[in-house]
Amino acid sequence: MIAKIVCYCLNGLEGVPVEVETDVNKGIPAYDMVGLPDTAVKESKERVRSALKNSGMLFPMNKITINFAPADIRKEGAAFDLAVAVSLLKASEQLVGADLKDTVFLGELALNGDLRPVSGLLPILISAKGHGFSRFVIPAANAAEARYLGGAEIYPACTLTEVVRHVMGTERILPLETAEFVPHAEKKNSADLKFVKGQPLARRALEIAVAGGHNLLMVGPPGTGKTMLARCLPGIMPDLSFDEALEITKIHSVAGVLGEEGIVSERPFRTPHHTATTVSMCGGGNRVVHPGEISLAHGGVLFLDELPEYKRSTLEALRQPLEDGKITVSRAGGTVTFPARFMLCASMNPCPCGNYGSANLTCSCTPAEIRAYRKKVSGPLLDRIDLQVEVDNVSYDELVSTEKRETSSQVKERVDVARNIQRHRFSQSGISTNAEMGEREIAAFCALTEESEKILRAAFERMKLSARARGRIIKVARTIADLDGSEEILPKHVYEAVSYRIYDKMG
Amino acid sequence: MLWLCACAGLEYRERVARLRAVSRPAELLTESGEEEVGRLLARMEREEVFAVSLLDEDYPALLKNSPSPPLLLFGAGRRELLKARMFCIVGSRITPPWAEKLAKLTAERLSRRFAVVTGLAEGGDAAALEGALAGGSPVCVLPCGIDGCYPAAHASLKERVRRAGLLLTEYPFGTQSKKFHFIARNRILAGLAEGTLVVSAGKRSGALITANFALDGGRDVFAFPHNPGAAQGEGCNELIKKGAYLATGAEDIFAAYGMQEDVREEVPLTPAERRVLTVLKESGELHAAVIAERAEIPVYEAAATLASLELKNLVVKAGGNRYTAV
Repeated sequence: MIAKIVCYCLNGLEGVPVEVETDVNKGIPAYDMVGLPDTAVKESKERVRSALKNSGMLFPMNKITINFAPADIRKEGAAFDLAVAVSLLKASEQLVGADLKDTVFLGELALNGDLRPVSGLLPILISAKGHGFSRFVIPAANAAEARYLGGAEIYPACTLTEVVRHVMGTERILPLETAEFVPHAEKKNSADLKFVKGQPLARRALEIAVAGGHNLLMVGPPGTGKTMLARCLPGIMPDLSFDEALEITKIHSVAGVLGEEGIVSERPFRTPHHTATTVSMCGGGNRVVHPGEISLAHGGVLFLDELPEYKRSTLEALRQPLEDGKITVSRAGGTVTFPARFMLCASMNPCPCGNYGSANLTCSCTPAEIRAYRKKVSGPLLDRIDLQVEVDNVSYDELVSTEKRETSSQVKERVDVARNIQRHRFSQSGISTNAEMGEREIAAFCALTEESEKILRAAFERMKLSARARGRIIKVARTIADLDGSEEILPKHVYEAVSYRIYDKMG
Repeated sequence: MLWLCACAGLEYRERVARLRAVSRPAELLTESGEEEVGRLLARMEREEVFAVSLLDEDYPALLKNSPSPPLLLFGAGRRELLKARMFCIVGSRITPPWAEKLAKLTAERLSRRFAVVTGLAEGGDAAALEGALAGGSPVCVLPCGIDGCYPAAHASLKERVRRAGLLLTEYPFGTQSKKFHFIARNRILAGLAEGTLVVSAGKRSGALITANFALDGGRDVFAFPHNPGAAQGEGCNELIKKGAYLATGAEDIFAAYGMQEDVREEVPLTPAERRVLTVLKESGELHAAVIAERAEIPVYEAAATLASLELKNLVVKAGGNRYTAV
């Protein structure tokens, strides 16, 4: 008898349906798998054999052929175990009368028949729902992320026995209840601005960067709190919408880094080490293409500490995703596009010894050393960083007045207001932040007063800016004006925007 | 001038020794062969490089009267600048930002009356050169052949000088810069100029060597005053102690030569700018946050105001969000 069970495999962030066909024939006992299974899928043979035996079911001593259709896609991973087991049971007539129609089975089996979680479950469920499937049997350990998929019957099972009882109708599993999405349910990886001492300029730069979705570079001697400041970024970013959260969760699920709560409710904050390779940064893999750090940072912050220490090629690879908000990775296994709209926050020392420009320490670097150090970060990359701010080691006592330290939530309120203005402004343009503006939007929304234009021209000549940098200054000025609640871009906004380009040297 | 071309390709010391050995330079010609001389002249013509010897009429008069004038100078650019009145500005490679800015402004203003002579190094020299370029008549003396460039990163700066002003060197094509070349070059810098301004100099700085050459030649020496204890200014303060003129801008130099500078036009300032500038002038170098506090404005407004003052050349960034007035 032939049995057909539907399972899913992943291609990038998309689920692809795979039919597991099992035929049990009379003949010399054999157990074959065809249809381009990879090693982990082939090994399911032994897991399924043991799991069946240890769940008190029979493993048919016949000639068994299992086919994975369509045969031209390579099947990866252990998520097929459950589907193979169920189809074997059905083909060997152990599931007579069971209702298997339109049900997708996903899960890895342990030898004792327990179900183990699989990675990338949420994107599979979303795709399968789109393909018209509405019933899913999944490992109970994956229930957390599956809860957020509404409009489907999802049955979380702990063991193979439970699955069999469920489909036979002897003991139904309770379907999952759809969970309500709560943005920023629990902030665990972001710091609060109220713990940052001093640094009024850097705080301001942080606020502008988040308000307009701009990229940020912090330059300062070691130990001045650059990392601390960067960690505050997710906390002042706008809350995630459910769609954003779902998209981020899909990426994290495919990469297998999803936390216990099952959905990413907080903006990601990724800090790849400076030894990271281009592939780990952008995504890649041998056969299956995995998302890289920039995709994991989608919707959040990619923090590159000590920017000049990163490999040049790795940094250059960021240029195109920074512009496009997505990355297309081509591998032997196929071509996959991952979203990668992240906010880049980088930090660096002003010179190799770190003391250049310091108030009380002398820099021991030669001009040539400083030049070589700064050259490690290429001009085109710097050009894409709208805000460049110095973080200094100003001693706290130097500020006499009792400075009012704002909390992240106070800053976030202002950011939300500025973002709302932008959402309103770009409602027809298909973008959402000032940083995403192209030439057309700049012309439409960033009219400069005559005086502002004059200032910009002066700055342009003095600082020998590139055309791209000019556009970026205007965008930042637009954001500053939004924070100010001003319809027009006034001279003070332009001046402030200019002051955040310390690396385009003033002549 | 041919006779010195013949020495091309020889080491500096060797060349001097050989020159001393012969009574008439023409004798050298036969030694090196006319073919080589022809090649050299052709290259000079091709690359628009001229040579001026001690015997030539437009050899700079002041240099001729210095203790050890070079016998031959190679030059590229505007030859007529050789006859201009020259003033030398030098500074060490590590120069505080305020001194760089001031050097630049001073060079620019001096350019109205002088051709500003300097080197090509980072720091004080490059700042003065930028100012001189803005002023219109920069003169740069190289420690290597006219085709060389040290530091290599300043190749484009050198090209700009060649186009707008004058490049000079006593070394023939292909000569690499050696340590002692810099000292020899400094004697030309001091020799060309009526006076020398030292914008910054540590205890043992090349800028001090230039100042000493100037003193040996009986020229005036000016220096910017620095904070006591600042390593990059010890040499300058030492010069002032020993009797150099204290200069805080082009006006002091003009005054020393009895020149009247054209009146500087007043830059219009907004009330906020005036307030920030007053705060800065009261206390020297200050952090932006402190400025904001004293001027009683939000930090981000202070940042904007400082940027506008910077564009107006009234304030300079000293690194680490600190600013000074100039």
